[in-house]
Amino acid sequence: MNIKQIAKKAGVSVATVSRVLNHPETVAETTREKIQKIIDEEEYKPNWFARGLNFNRTKTLGLLIPHTLGSTYMEIANGVEEVARQKGYITFMCNVEKDPQIEKEYVNQLINRRVDGIILMFSALDDSYMELIEEKNIPAVLIGENKVKCGWSSVTTNCRSGAADMVRHLAECGHSRIGILCGRDPEQEGRDMLKGYCDVMKKCGRGEDPRLKSSVENSIEGGYIGMKQMLSEVRPDAIFATSDEIAYGAMEAVKDMGMSIPGDIAVAGFGNSRMSNLVEPKLSTVEQPYRKMGIYGARILFDMIEGETEEPQHIILQGKLRIRKSCGHTDRIGEMF
Amino acid sequence: MLTTNFMGLKLRNPVILAAGPWNRDGRAVKESIDMGAGAVVTESIVSDTVMDVRPRIAGDERGAQNIRLYSDIQIEGWESEMKIAKSSGGVVIASVSGQTPSEVAYLASKMEKFGADAIELSVSNPAVESLEVVASHASTVFDMTKAVVSSVGIPVIVKLSQNTTNISKVAKAVKAAGGSGVTAINTVRGILGVDVENAVPTLSTYGGISGSYIKPLGLASVATIAQTADITISGVGGITDGRSALEYMMLGATTVQVGTHAMIRGKGVIRKIVHELEEWAQNHNLKNLSEIRGKALANLKSFDEMKFEPATSVVNSVPCTENCNRCMMACMYGAITREGGSIRVDEKKCTGCGLCTDMCAAKKLKLSL
Repeated sequence: MNIKQIAKKAGVSVATVSRVLNHPETVAETTREKIQKIIDEEEYKPNWFARGLNFNRTKTLGLLIPHTLGSTYMEIANGVEEVARQKGYITFMCNVEKDPQIEKEYVNQLINRRVDGIILMFSALDDSYMELIEEKNIPAVLIGENKVKCGWSSVTTNCRSGAADMVRHLAECGHSRIGILCGRDPEQEGRDMLKGYCDVMKKCGRGEDPRLKSSVENSIEGGYIGMKQMLSEVRPDAIFATSDEIAYGAMEAVKDMGMSIPGDIAVAGFGNSRMSNLVEPKLSTVEQPYRKMGIYGARILFDMIEGETEEPQHIILQGKLRIRKSCGHTDRIGEMF
Repeated sequence: MLTTNFMGLKLRNPVILAAGPWNRDGRAVKESIDMGAGAVVTESIVSDTVMDVRPRIAGDERGAQNIRLYSDIQIEGWESEMKIAKSSGGVVIASVSGQTPSEVAYLASKMEKFGADAIELSVSNPAVESLEVVASHASTVFDMTKAVVSSVGIPVIVKLSQNTTNISKVAKAVKAAGGSGVTAINTVRGILGVDVENAVPTLSTYGGISGSYIKPLGLASVATIAQTADITISGVGGITDGRSALEYMMLGATTVQVGTHAMIRGKGVIRKIVHELEEWAQNHNLKNLSEIRGKALANLKSFDEMKFEPATSVVNSVPCTENCNRCMMACMYGAITREGGSIRVDEKKCTGCGLCTDMCAAKKLKLSL
């Protein structure tokens, strides 16, 4: 259905329908609601392409995703897409497969397709390509701290303090030998989490036992193997995993070795992926505002596309402890808030 | 008579419809303005909408408990909602809430662009967020307020919580960060009750208690802030009529906010409260209500300033034929007895605590030297 048909059905002029879409406050309430009802019923969408022509826009965004199998990345993508959809934009989602070469190719493709803006998620893109985006004057936003480039807008979370909060919580639960299974991804977030772990261990006077620090592949398998290897050398009271996937693998390894969670070894993850509330025991983890990161990434990109701001914007979001059963805490109230 | 200068905003009266689902979109805000509110605060706008739990509000005659009430409209959607909200004029204050300074600053700057006249920063929701509400820490409130103040050119008011050990410290942090005012108080963490037959609390988690339940807390908070921090105050908590609005104003509030009462009784209560204020001001020959602002603060005294007079309860008018015996039941000192169809106070036993004078519905007792 087009705007003329909507107008006809509502018994009003095309201009009135247009006003409902663009300046609803100028239309009488009863008329506005009547027209809006028809728009909703008919699922009418304005012709954004035609609108875009007015501003020489293609109404398309490019979103570079490290890997489409990562639930974290898809949650961020979900946030980006929600805002883009509301703005009448289509998002090209490009699976970079954590390969800088593929990422470069996609950047070229997106530039050729004249996208209105680009969002780089945990990007590993080298500076020359970032400069290319700048030269082409394409608005762009970085999500995740992997790549920090001066003058670029960004959305980040403070992973160091999130990890520190969880390690501190494990210490408060009475665990003294706290180990870390750290994801091997080259992302800055992983390095920050390790720093957060070290901050707390130092402060607690626990020192740093290298046998309690293990670098593993960021996957369930990586967590499983890493945990088994660590247990062959040392017996921790608790494990902090830098992703929920690693934590799931570690839990499996602990169980396979005939030990209980959290009785023998407590486990905590990072991310609050959907499964964390379904595994047994339920995984204590650090909730990360992934969807919100995507939402803000898109918001500040649109601010640039629409010329609302020239200054780079930096949005810093905050994680939150999700205390469940796997960490061995005893205060039920901790689970409520 | 009722026009009020509120942080530089000209309000036709000091009665504001507080943040809540009754102001959930442009149409609802406009309706609140049309019902005569001096200003209207939108439902709290957050970075990302959250799914509503059901049920989430419970209430009785004295107030309500809510679990989590945030706007289900994303910030993008508020652009057109604000156009509708302001289509017949009126002052609209946008309530924004979030976890980090950059988040709330972003939301506030958008709402300013969409036409908000002021920002109310909500950092004090006692439900779900964390065991300690954000507003219990003066330094966090300072950072949040500063970020918002530096991102907008309109007044910023911060909604404070009773769930803190020192509310005046938090109010001072708002002032130091450049905030123009504080709203006191937000709901207080609570549980409305328990169904004892099934051992089930009224709502499925801790929530925020509002209404008459929290009025004494609200009054004390407003007075404390007024006596310690030089900042404009909007009083909230259990305002149901002109008299309760006046109580807040006499303790230092410039404006008052009505939420729960309007939720339970409908927005028509706004007109009634405004009318009662008008009438009271007229009867007391006031040119403007600001003349009574903070007037009761002078009568709040320290123990040093109180006079230790040997007042005792006396029967004001005899005989008392009420036969309710409430004064006798409430007398912890055994000073009141019923004799010959009336009541009698034994002056030697009475210690002048004053409770019986409040318990007597017929107002037959008073403290006297």
